[in-house]
Amino acid sequence: MGYYLRKLAFYLAALWAAVTLNFVIPRMLPGDPVDILMAKLQQRGGGVDPAARKAYETLLGTGGRDSVLQEYVSYLGNLLRGELGVSVSAFPAKVSDVIAGSLPWTIVLVGLSTLLSFLLGVGLGAVVGWKRGTWLDSLVPATTVLSAVPYFWLALILVALLSTGLGWFPLNGGYDVVLDPGWSGEFVGSAIYHGILPALTIVISSVGGWLLGMRNMMVSAMSEDYVLTARAKGLRDSRIMIRYAARNAVLPSVAGFAISLGFVVSGSIVTELVFSYPGIGSKLLQAVQNNDYALMQGIFLVITVAVLGANLVVDLVYGFIDARTRDRSVVS
Amino acid sequence: MSGRWQGLLPRWSAKLGFGLGIAGAIVLFGLIGPLLTGDPATIRDIGLTPPGGEHLLGTTVTGQDILAQLAHATRGSLLIGLLVGVMATVLSGVFGIVGAYAGGVLDEAFSLFSNVMLVIPGLPLVIVIAGFVPPDQRGTGTISLVLAITGWAAAARVLRAQTLSLRTRDYVAAARVSGERTWRVICVEILPNLLPILASQFVFAVVLAILSEAGLSFLGLGAANSSTLGTMLYYAQNGFALQREAWWWFVPPGLIIALFGGALALVNFSIDEIINPRLRDRARRERDVVAVEAEITPAEPDAVLTVRNLNVVYQSATPVHAVKDVSLTLRRGEILGLAGESGCGKTTLAYAINRLHRPPAEVTSGSVTFDGVDVLAMGPEELREFRWVRLSMVFQGAMNSLNPVTPIRAQLQDVLRTHRPSMSAPDREVRCAEVLRLVGVDPARLGAYPHELSGGMRQRVMIAMALLLDPQVMIMDEPTTALDVLVQREILNEIVRLRDQLRFAVVFITHDLPLLLELSDRIAVMRDGEVVEYATAEDMYLRPQHPYTRQLLASFPSLTGDAGALIT
Repeated sequence: MGYYLRKLAFYLAALWAAVTLNFVIPRMLPGDPVDILMAKLQQRGGGVDPAARKAYETLLGTGGRDSVLQEYVSYLGNLLRGELGVSVSAFPAKVSDVIAGSLPWTIVLVGLSTLLSFLLGVGLGAVVGWKRGTWLDSLVPATTVLSAVPYFWLALILVALLSTGLGWFPLNGGYDVVLDPGWSGEFVGSAIYHGILPALTIVISSVGGWLLGMRNMMVSAMSEDYVLTARAKGLRDSRIMIRYAARNAVLPSVAGFAISLGFVVSGSIVTELVFSYPGIGSKLLQAVQNNDYALMQGIFLVITVAVLGANLVVDLVYGFIDARTRDRSVVS
Repeated sequence: MSGRWQGLLPRWSAKLGFGLGIAGAIVLFGLIGPLLTGDPATIRDIGLTPPGGEHLLGTTVTGQDILAQLAHATRGSLLIGLLVGVMATVLSGVFGIVGAYAGGVLDEAFSLFSNVMLVIPGLPLVIVIAGFVPPDQRGTGTISLVLAITGWAAAARVLRAQTLSLRTRDYVAAARVSGERTWRVICVEILPNLLPILASQFVFAVVLAILSEAGLSFLGLGAANSSTLGTMLYYAQNGFALQREAWWWFVPPGLIIALFGGALALVNFSIDEIINPRLRDRARRERDVVAVEAEITPAEPDAVLTVRNLNVVYQSATPVHAVKDVSLTLRRGEILGLAGESGCGKTTLAYAINRLHRPPAEVTSGSVTFDGVDVLAMGPEELREFRWVRLSMVFQGAMNSLNPVTPIRAQLQDVLRTHRPSMSAPDREVRCAEVLRLVGVDPARLGAYPHELSGGMRQRVMIAMALLLDPQVMIMDEPTTALDVLVQREILNEIVRLRDQLRFAVVFITHDLPLLLELSDRIAVMRDGEVVEYATAEDMYLRPQHPYTRQLLASFPSLTGDAGALIT
């Protein structure tokens, strides 16, 4: 109980920090984002709407007219109501609508590829650690080099080889544009087909990290006394490997999920750009290139909340798979 | 002092050499390359010339020499990597080491801050910050600072954990008590021990910075007027290098990043091996026993386990002969005591009997016969079926002998599932409860995790587990050493009672000779791998032959006069 409450409190603190960071950044950095936004808005035919100006000022700063505290309170109020302003790059769409349209693409793509990469990396790492001293050891440096490859570079090479060269996969996009988005079999099939290459990029680039971490923990776990006991008990090798060694070795990988997830999310943003994927990463870059500060801010918040949420879930799972954590009443 | 520093240097290995070689070559290319190649910006009318001739790596779409660009870009990327690496390492040191060392509120605050920074995704934050800063104000310094600020937290967490454990070590405590200044303790006592971790985190930060910068530049958000591998890729992509099949323009920058990252990862493997010696390369050895011709001598009529001239050698750089020519006989229902100080080879002997010894230990000669069967000649599957069914073990540290993440029920049932596959689930449950009752543990504790049990309870559970299959022999390696005297006595009584009731034979290993005098039927005293005296308990007590035995007996004066007091 104490464990879960502590975790929840921590993520609330982290969420508050992220929200505040989002408030502070535009006010600390040089430039006059509100004027730029208003100019853009006018170009798009938005007119000099005082309400729009006020909304942007709440988000980005009034330039000293209101006190910071007043700004902060109205900023938090807007967030609570889900009002993130109007996007200038997708004018006249609201930021929240742009995000709602692109977020599912990213969650499915990045979520599934991360899960796949985690399972693959941890599984391979367990085997490589268990079979230590065999040819499998060479998998470790090989996958480590792969994880040092920039995501976007790998993505472009894959596109050049598999899409342009062999024509196996589409060049870009999230689905065949002639289809109407919806839950039809044809559309879902097209979305899966378009998602294979981006997913492959993410899996190839991130699997090495999981593999290395798991392999090292596996090697450590194998010299623990409980593995010796399991051997003395005459258990089969497969059982010792899975129930005794891997079951313990996986704990640090799960505990370190937060760090790895950060890398995957970062890499995925650039990957989306390469594939012109209709996800939130592409939208973030589109926002940056168009000085669409409101959209930028909104997407940063949403990505952060999603990452925090994923980490919270993993932490809750951790409490479930390691009984010692739940019982530890004092913060370690 | 030199010994202390030696442990901090990586051991030379092919991986380390290879990694340092590649990384060194790339650094050298970044340092010297720009001096040797021409101006990377010179435009010529030979756009997209393939590699060869005057332009070793070909030209860009505007005829610029790619080798020259690559040299300058490598220098730019390395510079950013170095800047960020240094800044991030300093930041992680401040928040990780200082906080953990100071403890209290400062540690809590720093740790919370690090963890929050850790869960906030880095690149989106960098993109947002870079998006707000106008391009003309985005210098190399600004970009490096932003990358450092978003990249130090993971390292701080590792450093904090390590510092917390170092802080409690004796020599650090001694320095603190003797009134040394805080900064001096940190610099002299703590930092040297953290060097491998700092080095590995620095290397990691450099790679991460180069990768992140490449990503930023590729997005057009890099430092203004900078030339890095990322900007090269940006121009290559915007010049449609791949679409025009100008792979020589697009591939080399990415390859340099990947090679540099991979090479530094290889270096990091070597550093990891310093931090965690268990990771060191070890050739896998399929063989734990050198082909031994078992001369099964006619065993004594009542013998269940016979060890003849057994030799075990640790085949390291300087081979250690841990067990020398040991011969022992264990009769049915007998308790055989094995005494000796730590390091005398008694545990190695016990493991070798069951072939549990790990590489580099190897049985070089001798025989182990169990009920007429040669244990050393058994195949893997035969050996697996032999273990626990005929011979079970109770290990020294009950603390770590149980799997910490599963309830004890699962660990007891494992044995039955494997060795009694036909047993039904309710029968298994009944049997587990039965053995727990035998050792005086409430069967309700079956659902408990090891950490929920006391040390004595855990040892009882281990004994219960050893009883599950009614083995003929039980090897107990210091089963009561870690327990307090009262619990120790209870468990010893339990063992003797169970032996009398169930008639299994016991090899009881301990450094406590007087204890064995009361417990055992016969005793072997080991020293430096050899059995120096082997006699009945009575003979050994009344007429010790070997000077070492007499010395051992004399070292427990309070008990020698009162034999029988411990076991009632």
